[in-house]
Parts: sequence; structure tokens; C-alpha cells
Amino acid sequence: MKIFQSSKSFHQAFWGATLLSFIIALIGLLVIFFGERYHLRLVYAAYVNLLVVLGLQVFMGNTNITNLSHSAFMGLGAYIAAICVTPVQIKKLSLPDAPWGLNTFELDALSSALISLTLTGFLAFLTGLVIVRLSGIGATIVTIAILVIVHSIFMHRTDIFKGKQAFFGIPQVFDLTSIIIISIAVIFIARFFRESKWGIQLRASSDDEKSADAMGVNIFKLRLLAWTLGGLILALSGICYAYYLGTISARPFYFSHVFLTLAMLILGGMRSITGAVIGTILITFGLEGVRFMETGPVILGLKFPEMLGLSGIALGAVIVIIMVVRNGGLVGNFEIEQVFIKTRKKI
Amino acid sequence: MIDYVVQQTLNALSFGAEYALIALGLAIVFSIMGLVNFAHGEVIAIGGYSMMVMAAIAFKNPIIIIVGAIFAAVIMAIFLERIAFRPVRYADATTGLLTAFGVSLILQNLFLLLVSPRPIAVTSMYFLDWPIKLGTIRISSLQIFETLATLLAILLLVLFLKRSFLGIAMRAASLDFEMVRLMGIRANRVIATAFAISGLLAGIAAIFIIARRGAVDPTLGFNPVLKAFVACVVGGFGSLPGAVLGGFLLGALEVGMLVILPQSYGGMKDAFVFAVIAIILVWRPEGILSPQKEKGDKI
Repeated sequence: MKIFQSSKSFHQAFWGATLLSFIIALIGLLVIFFGERYHLRLVYAAYVNLLVVLGLQVFMGNTNITNLSHSAFMGLGAYIAAICVTPVQIKKLSLPDAPWGLNTFELDALSSALISLTLTGFLAFLTGLVIVRLSGIGATIVTIAILVIVHSIFMHRTDIFKGKQAFFGIPQVFDLTSIIIISIAVIFIARFFRESKWGIQLRASSDDEKSADAMGVNIFKLRLLAWTLGGLILALSGICYAYYLGTISARPFYFSHVFLTLAMLILGGMRSITGAVIGTILITFGLEGVRFMETGPVILGLKFPEMLGLSGIALGAVIVIIMVVRNGGLVGNFEIEQVFIKTRKKI
Repeated sequence: MIDYVVQQTLNALSFGAEYALIALGLAIVFSIMGLVNFAHGEVIAIGGYSMMVMAAIAFKNPIIIIVGAIFAAVIMAIFLERIAFRPVRYADATTGLLTAFGVSLILQNLFLLLVSPRPIAVTSMYFLDWPIKLGTIRISSLQIFETLATLLAILLLVLFLKRSFLGIAMRAASLDFEMVRLMGIRANRVIATAFAISGLLAGIAAIFIIARRGAVDPTLGFNPVLKAFVACVVGGFGSLPGAVLGGFLLGALEVGMLVILPQSYGGMKDAFVFAVIAIILVWRPEGILSPQKEKGDKI
């Protein structure tokens, strides 16, 4: 089976992903060598967000359907892996009433991750069967429904998920180096998917659904593929989150995180992987600056007031301004290798 | 037993009335310009905050506060249309939806920054709420007011849309906006009217939400609008009767879930409600009363 329409799209995808990986690896290495301990944590979180944004891009960028359930899948990935990998002694303490013998076994990190990927991927596939049948607003509302349902389950089934409290005792499996490697792998996956014949057909169908359908594109099947692949990447991001931080709680997997990652994707431009990466980098750094202002710092002898909510305003402003001024995002359809490789002339 | 059924039906009606009121505000904007206005919740919150401000500067007369809150919501809705939604008027639905999300995020955090992240007590609407006993049925006067106000608002809206010039223009615009403009009616006027009406409905909703909760906080409108959004989609997005139907259906569904689910699952109410909604959407992807698209109509 041919995956790429032409060898040219393969070359473009390969070089584009390589260049982005280089940037991502460079930032990571700089932090590893020069950063302080609390920097490591921040940068790790940024890499997790990068994975989320890429997972979101695979579906949203190729189909142009707004997905708001991504944080739910990330949460599922995180919790399933955490429940499997946490040692029995700790689970006896933290989850004394867990049903189905969840607190009587422990697995190694790799099999936990695989179980988490399988289960979350399966759930993504099942929900995908529903999502792909709907179009536009209807699909978005079902993604909101998924987010609310998953969040209520996290909050209510405290015997399994601990709800608002922290689920603690997850062994630290990953460090910054491992997540850099995973990010690079995911960049390649997302970019290859974008340039594959499936990605091209999907984007054609999002531009003009009826024409693509008439040309024989199986829109339902391709959307389901993109949705499930996106779900798997999101599960992976959740696993990475749990495997580093050691404690997770239900709260971060809800609307505020949904908007944060959505703003990252939109700022860069959701149709391109380059856009996703650039958006993540810009918002991560920008937000650190805004958070610093939020605490009411003293700059050049001037005492600024404490301004809670400034980061939310900044995120909202980014979304609105991009939508009003350039609704394709900063880079639009552009991919990084186009700086070096001449692509076809515009007709 | 019969008392219990009547009691729960009344509860469902008043829940449904609130959702219907908000859903109508969303639907009237969507039917004309295809915008999913998620910032509607913050228009409701503005209504709430304006009550807080008016109570603080010693307005005691409840009529002034009610009129003032509705007025503030209308102004806010028109203002949002002017600065945020006009530039994306002809963009696709996704752009509009994301813009509205951004606006909602900005406003919520502005409330947080300028007022307070904590709820602030607003007690000026408590006078609407007193218990009524009919035989063994216990209801609050608020439920009756809410249901009546919603019915009245629907009635006036129908009159406006059927009888007035601008109303007829709006109905025509929901079918074919270009044609309405070719007839010499200003697009800006039609859309501003739609937003003004949605603001009016949001203001009324704000009064009842504040009367029930007695406090205002930055996320006051977010959850009700999330539910109303669901009601709209289930009823058929862009259809006004659909929004009302969806609102009351959602109210019935919520009360039904509270009755059916065991006490320990009370926290899962939303999960079950949203699951039922998802199933309805699979059954009818365009909603129950979606506007019929004729074959050969322009897309």
C-alpha cells in the first residue's frame, strides 16, 4: 500500500520534521545544560503541551473540526497509566476502596504505558465512530460532551481517580531527555500523517467536503483514522505527564487546559506542524512573562500591582486577534522546509 | 405519588425555562450570522455585575435594578458584536466559534482581575423568591416567575418576528442574508438587532440566576450557556422553536436524572445528561427541529 502520493511529499515531510526536531532538541539541550531545577519542570510541562498540541493538530488541522475534548483524552491516558504503574503499597493507602482489584496489582512502566495507549486509543475509536458522523458544530458539541463526561467521572469516582485530591506515588520514569525523544518521534508521526495521501485527502475534504466526496475520498474512514491517531498522541502526552510529575489530579484536565492548548495551536496556525510547534513555543515563553507580571513584580523601582487573571486575558486576546487578523494562524499553510526547498509555484 | 409527579414537572419546567431563555439568545444570533456565541455567558455575567454595582451605589428600587441589568446586558451584547464579531462576520463557523471562546476567556478574566475571583453577594433579587404551598406541593415563587417570564419573552419575540418590519427582515436574513441586503436593508442593523435581542434575553436570564444564587462570580454564565448550547444543538441549531424545545427537553432530562439516579450518583448528573445528548445527536445529527435545507439551495 502506498502511503505517500509522491516521493516529493515524503521528502518534504522528512526534511520538515527533521528541521523542527532540531529546533525542539536544541531548546531542550540548552535547558538541560544551563537550566536550573525549576526550569526543568517548566520546560517538561511545555513539552507535554507540545505533544497535546500535536495530537490536537492531527485531527483539527486536517479536518477543520474544532475539538475541545483533547484534555479529557490526555487525562485518561495519564490516569490509566498511573493506576497501572503505581506500587501496590501506595495504592493500598491512596485507593483503599478501589473496585475490580485495581489496588492489588502493579506493572512495569512500559506495559502500563501500552495498556494506557490501548485503552485510550480504543475509547478514542469508539467516540470517533460518533464524532465522524457529525459535521461542524454538532461534532464540536459532542467533543464538549466527552470532556464534561470524562471530567465528571474523574471528579465523582474518587475511589478510582481521587477526584480533586492528588493521585500520588507514581514513580518517576521519564526525564527531560526522554520527552525530547518522544516529542521528536511525534513530530515525525504528525508530519508524515499530514503529507500522507490520507492527510492530503482529509484536508481536501475540509476545504470542500462535497467535491472530495465526489472524487471518492472516504471522509468518514479518514476522519476516524485522524481522530484515533490524535487520541493516541494525546494519551501519550498524558502518560508523559504522569510519568514525570508523580502526582496528578482531575483539575488540570478541564477547560482551562483546553483553552491553553487551543490557543497554542491557533496562534501558530492549525493547518501546519510548523505552526503547532511555533505556537507552543511562543505561548509558553509569552505566558511565563505574563505570569511574572501577574504576581505584581518590581521593575526599575516601579511596583506593579498584583494582577490575577492577566494570563487568561492574554490567551483570550491571542485567540481573538489571530482569528480577526489572520485566521490561518501565523504561518498558515507554510511548513518550515519551504524556506529551503522550492515548492511548486503558486498558480 | 401524583403530587410528586406534579412537583417534579414544575421543577423541570423552571429549569427548562432558564435554558430555553438562554438558548433562544444563542439561536437568534446563530440563525442570522452563523456564529456560535459562547461569550453569551459573559453577557449574563455583566447583567449580574451591573446589579452588584447598582446595589452598591444605593439603588434600592428593584425595578431600577432589573431594568438597569437588562440594559447593561443589551449594551454589552451590541458592544461585543461591534468590536469582536463584526470582523469575523463572513468567516467560517470555526473561526466564529473560536473568536467567541476567546472573547469569553478575556471577559471572565477581566471580571476576575477587576472585581474579584470570589463570589460577591447580590441580595437585591431575593424578594422574587418566597415559598408557595399548594396542598402538598412545595414550589418557590421564583419558579413560577421564571416560567412565566420565559413564556412571555417567547410570545413577544414571536410577535416581533412575525409582525414588525425588522423582525420579518431578520427571518428573511436567516434564510438568505444576501437577498435581504439586496432588498436595501442594512446588514449592520439586522445583526445589531439580533445581538440586542440576545442581550435582552441574557439580561432576563441573569435576573433569575442571581435571584436563585444570590451571588455573582466570573463564571456565572459559563455553565448555563454550556447547557443552553447543548439545548440549541439538540433542538436544531439556528431554529428558534428548536432552541425552546431543546431547553425544555434539557430541563426535563436534568430533573429526570436527579429523580432516577441514586443519591450517590448525584455528582454524575451532568455526565448522564451529556451522554443522552450525544446519543440524540447520533440519532439526529442536525438536531430535532433543524431548519430544512432544500435541495439546490445555496450552501
